[in-house]
Amino acid sequence: MKRTLTALTLALGLSAAASAQAQTTVTFWTWYLSPKFDDYIKTTIAAFEKANPDIKVNWADKQDSMVQDFISSVNLGNAPDVVNLNIDETQKAAQNGFLRAASDLTSAATLKATFYPQSLANFTSGGKVYAYPWYGWLNEGVLLYNPDLFKKAGLTRAPRTTSELIADAKIVKDKTGAYAWVPALKDPNTASFLGYFYAEGLPIYAADGKAAFNTPAHAALLSQFVDLYKGGYVPEDAVRREAFQLATELYGQNRVAMIIGGPQALTRIKDTNPNLYASTVVTSAPLGKANVQTGGSMALVVPTASKNPAAAAKLAAYFTNNANQLAFAKVVSVVPTTLGAQTSTQFKTSSTDPVAKATALVGASGRYINPGYKAPGNSDDLYKNFNDNIEAALLGKKTAQQALTDAVTYWNANMKK
Amino acid sequence: MRIPWRQTLMSYTFLAPALILLAVFTFYPLVYGAYLGFTEYTGARFAQGLGPKFTGLDNFRTLAGDPLFHTAIWNSVRYLLVVPVLQLASLAVAVLVNKELPGMTWFRAAYYVPVVTSVSLAAVMFEWVFNREGVLNWVLTSLHLTTPQKAIGWLNSETWAFFAVMLVTFWRGFGYYMVLYLAGLQTIPQELEEAAVLDGANPWQRFWRVTVPLMRPTILLCTLLSTIAALRVLEEVLVLTNGGPLNSTYTALMYVYAKAFQGFDFNYGLASAAGLVVAAVALIISAVNFRLFRTDDVAEGA
Repeated sequence: MKRTLTALTLALGLSAAASAQAQTTVTFWTWYLSPKFDDYIKTTIAAFEKANPDIKVNWADKQDSMVQDFISSVNLGNAPDVVNLNIDETQKAAQNGFLRAASDLTSAATLKATFYPQSLANFTSGGKVYAYPWYGWLNEGVLLYNPDLFKKAGLTRAPRTTSELIADAKIVKDKTGAYAWVPALKDPNTASFLGYFYAEGLPIYAADGKAAFNTPAHAALLSQFVDLYKGGYVPEDAVRREAFQLATELYGQNRVAMIIGGPQALTRIKDTNPNLYASTVVTSAPLGKANVQTGGSMALVVPTASKNPAAAAKLAAYFTNNANQLAFAKVVSVVPTTLGAQTSTQFKTSSTDPVAKATALVGASGRYINPGYKAPGNSDDLYKNFNDNIEAALLGKKTAQQALTDAVTYWNANMKK
Repeated sequence: MRIPWRQTLMSYTFLAPALILLAVFTFYPLVYGAYLGFTEYTGARFAQGLGPKFTGLDNFRTLAGDPLFHTAIWNSVRYLLVVPVLQLASLAVAVLVNKELPGMTWFRAAYYVPVVTSVSLAAVMFEWVFNREGVLNWVLTSLHLTTPQKAIGWLNSETWAFFAVMLVTFWRGFGYYMVLYLAGLQTIPQELEEAAVLDGANPWQRFWRVTVPLMRPTILLCTLLSTIAALRVLEEVLVLTNGGPLNSTYTALMYVYAKAFQGFDFNYGLASAAGLVVAAVALIISAVNFRLFRTDDVAEGA
C-alpha cells in the first residue's frame, strides 16, 4: 500500500512537473501592429505554439506608451519576455542595460546565417547583438510621383541624385505652386538630418568615436537645405512634423509632387485619393553621392528582466525567421531583414499596381537597411540639441557651420560611452 | 471639553480610508519624489536594479547650468500671462450666462464642451486654425488685415507660437472656470443685488462693488487652479509645437517629462529636482495670490 502511494505521489509529481513545463508563458509585446495585422500575428503565434507545445504566448500590442510601459513593467517585476523595438530604441535600451544580448541566447553562427550582416550591425552595441532583426523599410526605397504635377513643372523624369532633387524642388514650386518633396529636416525623437550626411558619404563620427559632422562639406550640405527652407521650397511644417507623415498628407492633396520612402505611403494614398493612387508613378529613389540607402528596422528583443529568456529567444527567432518575414511581407509592404529574402521569388513579380510595383522594387533590398548613424549614449539629449541647432540654421539664427559646430561641441561634451 | 476616546476613534475610523488613499497616492509620491531630487537615479541604475544614490545638490547644480531649463522655467512663468485673461473672461461670461434667459442652458453647455474635448482632437482642430493656409489667416485676409503673401504660420513662428498655444489653453480652460464662477455667483444673495439697485448702482458698479468682492473666495480658488495649470502646461504644447520653434514654447513640465519619461535614457533624479523647482515657483506664486485675494477683508467688512 505504502509503495503504491509512493508511486502515485511520484507520478502525480512528475505529471505536475510536466504540466508546469507546459505552462511556460511568454509575454510578447508588439508595437503598433494591432488591429491591422491581428490575423498575421495570431496565425504565427498559433503555429509557434503548435511547434512548441511547452510554450504559451500571451500577446499584447502596445502603441505610443510602449517604452514607458516597458520601464514600468520592469519596475513592477512583470517584464514582458519578447518586445518589439526599433533600431534606435534597441540601442538606447541596450546601452542602459535593459536587454539581454541575442548573441548570448542564440549562437552567433545561427544569427549570421539568418540575417543580413548590416541588419545585425544595426542592433549591435558594445560588440554584442541585442536583437533579432525583424521587418524593415528603406527611406529612399522608392520614389512616387504625381505625373500631372511633373508635367506642369516640365519635368520629364524623376531625379536620380540628391543634387537633381534639390534642383527639381525649385522648378516644381516655381512652376506649379506645389512642393517637390518633404525632406526629413527635423523628425521628432531622432536626428533625421544625420541621414543626409550619411547619404552623401560624410562621416557622423570620427575614428575615435567622437562626433565629427561639422566639416565645411557638412555645412555646405546643410546650407543647401537652409536655402530651400528660406526660399519657401519645402513646407515650413517640416521643422515641426514628421516628414513622411506630412508628405503623405500633402501628396494626397496634390500639394507635394513626390514622396521618397517605402510603399507604405501608397496604402494611405489608395484610401484617401484613389484617382491619384491609380496615376502615381513608382520608380527608384534618388541617392546621394555615397550611393547608399538609409532605412530602419524593427526587431524583437529579450529584456534583462525576462523570467523566461530561453523560451523568449525561441519565439523571437521564430517570428523573425525567413519564412515568417516573407509571410509578413505578403500582408504588408515591409522589407525583410533575412538573407533568404534576397532570393525569394515573391519580390520578382511584375505588376502595374503601384503597391505591387513598389514592393517588388524594395522587397529584396533588406541588406541596404542602415539608419546611417548609431544612437550615441545619452541620445535623447544629444538628438534634441542637434535638432535645435538644425532648426536654428533653418530659421537663420545661426549659420550652418556654427549650428553644426555647436552641436558637435555639445555631443562631445555630453556623449556617454 | 474632553472628547470621549470612543468618539475620537470613530472619527479616525471614518477618516482612515481617505487618509490611507492620500498617504499612498499623494503623500508618499510627494515625499519620495522630493527625495529623488537629491539623488542620481538614471535608466542605467534602474535597469541594473540599483536604487537611487544620494548626490546632494548635484541635480540642482545641473539645472542651474542648463540653458534649456532656464528657457523652460522662463516660458512657464511667461505662460502665467494667460491666467488674468482667462479669469477675467470666464468671470465676465459667467456673469452674462447667470441669467434666466431663453437658450442660456445651451450657452453654458457650449462653453463647457472644450473642457471635455480631448487634447489630440483639439490639436487637429487648431492645426487647421493656425496653419499658414488655415482659418485664422483666412479670417484675417477676409478682414483685409493681412494678405495671403503675408500670412503667418502661427505654430512655426518664434514670436507667435507661444501665444497660439496659449490660446488653446485659454479655449480649454475657459468653460471650466466659467462653471466654477457660475456656481459662485449663484451663492450671492439676491437681496444684496436688489439693495444695490435701490441705491442706484449701475450694472458696472454692481459688478465691481458687489459681485467681485463677494466672489473673492471663488476668484482665489480659480486663480490658484489656473496658475498651477499654467505652470504645468504640457499636453497642448507637446501635440502642437513639441516645444518649438527654437524652444519658444518649451515649458518646465516638458523638461520634467523629457527627463523622466521620454525613453531609456531617463533620469528620475534630475526630473524630480526640476519638478521641485516648478513646485517652489508654484508655491511662491500661490502665496502672492493668497495675499492679493485674501478674504479676511471681506469677512471683516461683512
